[in-house]
Amino acid sequence: MTLILEARGIDKTYPGGVHANQNIDLSVTAGTVHAVVGENGAGKSTLMKILFGVEQPNAGEILLDGKPIVLHSPRAAIAAGIGMVFQHFSLVPSFTVAENVVLGVEPRSGLKLDRKRAAETVQALAERFRLPVDVESPVERLPVGQQQRVEILKALYREARVLILDEPTAVLAPQEVVELFAAIRSLTEQGRTILFIAHKLPEVLEISDRISVMRAGKMVGEVAASEATEKSLARMMVGRDVALKVERAHKGPHEHFCRIAGLTVKNDRGLDAIKDMDLVLRTGEIVGIAAVEGNGQSELFDALGGLRPIEGGSVELGGIDVTDLSVEEKRDAGLAHIPEDRIATGSAGGATIAENIVATELGDTRFVRRGLLDGKAIRDHAVELIAKFSVRAPGPDAAIGTLSGGNMQKVVVARELSAKPRMLLVSHPTRGVDLGATEFIWQRLAEARDGGASILLTSADLSELLALADRMIVLYRGRIVAAFANTADLTPEVLGSYMLGFAAQGHEELKAALA
Amino acid sequence: MTQGKLILSETGRMIFAAVIALAVALVIILLSSKTPLETFQTFLTGPLSSKRTVGTWIDDASKLALAGLAFSLVFQARQFALGVQGQVYIGGLLASTIALSPLGLSWISIPLGAIAAMLGGALLGFIPGYAKAKLNANEIVSSLMLNYIAYDFTAMMLRLYLASPKSGLTASDPFPPTAVYPAFIARTRMDLGLVLALVTVVVVWFLLYRTAWGLKLRLTGHNARFAAYSGIRSNFIMVSAMTVSGAIGGLLGALFVQGTGFAKLAAGFEAGLSFEGILIAIVARNRPLAIPFVALGYGYLRQGAALMGYRTDVPAEVIGIVQGIVILLVASSFTLPGRALLNRIMGGRSAAEAS
Ligand SMILES: Nc1ncnc2c1ncn2[C@@H]1O[C@H](COP(=O)(O)OP(=O)(O)O)[C@@H](O)[C@H]1O
Ligand SMILES: [Mg+2]
Repeated sequence: MTLILEARGIDKTYPGGVHANQNIDLSVTAGTVHAVVGENGAGKSTLMKILFGVEQPNAGEILLDGKPIVLHSPRAAIAAGIGMVFQHFSLVPSFTVAENVVLGVEPRSGLKLDRKRAAETVQALAERFRLPVDVESPVERLPVGQQQRVEILKALYREARVLILDEPTAVLAPQEVVELFAAIRSLTEQGRTILFIAHKLPEVLEISDRISVMRAGKMVGEVAASEATEKSLARMMVGRDVALKVERAHKGPHEHFCRIAGLTVKNDRGLDAIKDMDLVLRTGEIVGIAAVEGNGQSELFDALGGLRPIEGGSVELGGIDVTDLSVEEKRDAGLAHIPEDRIATGSAGGATIAENIVATELGDTRFVRRGLLDGKAIRDHAVELIAKFSVRAPGPDAAIGTLSGGNMQKVVVARELSAKPRMLLVSHPTRGVDLGATEFIWQRLAEARDGGASILLTSADLSELLALADRMIVLYRGRIVAAFANTADLTPEVLGSYMLGFAAQGHEELKAALA
Repeated sequence: MTQGKLILSETGRMIFAAVIALAVALVIILLSSKTPLETFQTFLTGPLSSKRTVGTWIDDASKLALAGLAFSLVFQARQFALGVQGQVYIGGLLASTIALSPLGLSWISIPLGAIAAMLGGALLGFIPGYAKAKLNANEIVSSLMLNYIAYDFTAMMLRLYLASPKSGLTASDPFPPTAVYPAFIARTRMDLGLVLALVTVVVVWFLLYRTAWGLKLRLTGHNARFAAYSGIRSNFIMVSAMTVSGAIGGLLGALFVQGTGFAKLAAGFEAGLSFEGILIAIVARNRPLAIPFVALGYGYLRQGAALMGYRTDVPAEVIGIVQGIVILLVASSFTLPGRALLNRIMGGRSAAEAS
């Protein structure tokens, strides 16, 4: 039980004035998996960047093997045996796995890179730590999960004894998480230490030995994983009890509302992103779409929302064919859309909150008469929604771009729900949103459903889909490969095998489940 | 940031740009003039030296403001149409045609001239917009090409039909007095143009901030994808923004030829002023209500430089350098590194402001 890495009294204020780390203490025992959890913006990444020498603390000290050490730069951290895998990878896409791993510390024969030796070394490393990857393949051809392995191998090749992983599971499918955890276990068995950053609690509980919890820049506690529960951790993270649970839809005679038939949509490169899709949504239900990123879900939502042309097939809302209607007409027919990217699509950052809210209602005589804006009505409406959705904002005239991610998302959700939609497209509704706001948004979605809306939901977070959806479909390479009623025995693992294309339901089974 | 604070910080930024511009001008004058103090004094106080120079300053400022308004409208929609110059020529040509026709003998030629000029300018603004919407033609290229066409077309029409032999075919006969804007102060260029410019400021502000069209335009400019997602027909907005901007450009043309400054159609009458509207729009951050102030300030520097050119040994071209510096300073404050640099330069002052 020797401590390998310690942080004492770390304090960090960014030039902008954000006090991201306040007097942080952290002690990591050698050979363990130590998780740091906290909501978005709690300061986890900042602390890790300090431990890896990317950011410099304003105060405090770092000890490695009990001795104080100053980490001026990542180079110094690597030399001391600390490695880090960031949320965004820094690989050279056209280089092979082996080249990427050895880049900067290449084995040489004379002046030339010794390709063979590099490949062998990396191969051996991969086998030793259970990180299987094709070392000769260019990195750009690998799925994200394998690119992450390359990043880990890079750190191990540089003989990292402490490996920092910043939200490694955020980009992974369930099966890939299982594989990552296997690798982590093999690493700790061989004496390495893992510092694991996350905000998804079930997996933290599964993999960690000890868990430190951060909230709003402070370290609020440390517990042994064996003594913690999801609930206790959530309470520490948020500072109050959170109920991440919503009631399922009441069963009843729901009629069909949205009918998608033979839908074909192309992606930006002109290839079929969605092929001949049939799907029916009933009133008052949430249909979840599970898919690994890039399997057509983005294009599907864009096309249904009118942001991408529909190449073939039809979409009906309540008996009206909306296939070729403009976005405005689709919205008039009862469609609303919470898009996957609130900044690129869901808002105009430089415009005020009130202007962002009224943007979809410019045909409504409450706000516009004879082409003139009713400024007071627009502001009042915004003030009302800000209060109703407890958006933390200076007021309706603040630029929406100045809000934090969670509050911006609340504005988008508020706007889309305030139109009382009958059909709601929802993509990643709580990505980058903290636990408290997540709970709130989920409840609002469930309310909309109970009010009779048909909701099509997709999320990279399977637990979100499982918590909200009444039915689930799995999309793989633009096709529906499985459909389920969302019952208690539907697990991420079951979904995962369909999402990764390892399994597909038969035609009859699918048809029965989709009916 | 509250509205008040925003106005304060923006005003501070403009004053800062002006101070830097003046400092640069001073350095150039010190380096090139034999009598630097007098020269600098001419530059600084020249525009106020007589009733006439004040009138010229105000008249220039009105024209700069109109050019700035025309650009700010398309810039707010994030379209980079640069066709104001062409619109000015076509507007000037049409207004001249009316002024030189029998209609010119009645005051009706003043509103008619303005309307004809605006229609012509609007058409010229519409073309690149439509070409972009339908053919995806780049509006920068098409609007610049239209500038050439409009310039040469105006020159050709002048030579063929409107020029008077007395002027060596470079200008028309003077308009009848009934077709010339009345001046408020005799023997100055302070005339109806000032009123038209101020009215246009208010109209553009109203369009942008009080109408649904203006909100759609600004939202399209902020984020075109968001506009599309919201159900705003951004193609319509884009084309109409360019058309309305074109009408303002055309009006500027009428202001030129029917104003007391010219009172005739002369070859190349606009002398590049239109493009200075870009500077006005950028410094005013496309805010219509800020535009008259920027136009006054910049018009003053411009007039001072011109007088310095007449009266001293330093050429008026100094204004070109000053202009470049101001553009660089203001434009760089749009970029993050530029902002960081500005903050550092302004560090002491803005810290004092905050406390
Ligand atoms: N480079 C930076 N400059 C200024 N503020 C930052 C920077 N990086 C992070 N922050 C701010 O510091 C706080 C903590 O961020 P971060 O450490 O990334 O949190 P977490 O990883 O827990 O989500 C946030 O408010 C964030 O906006
Ligand atoms: Mg982070």
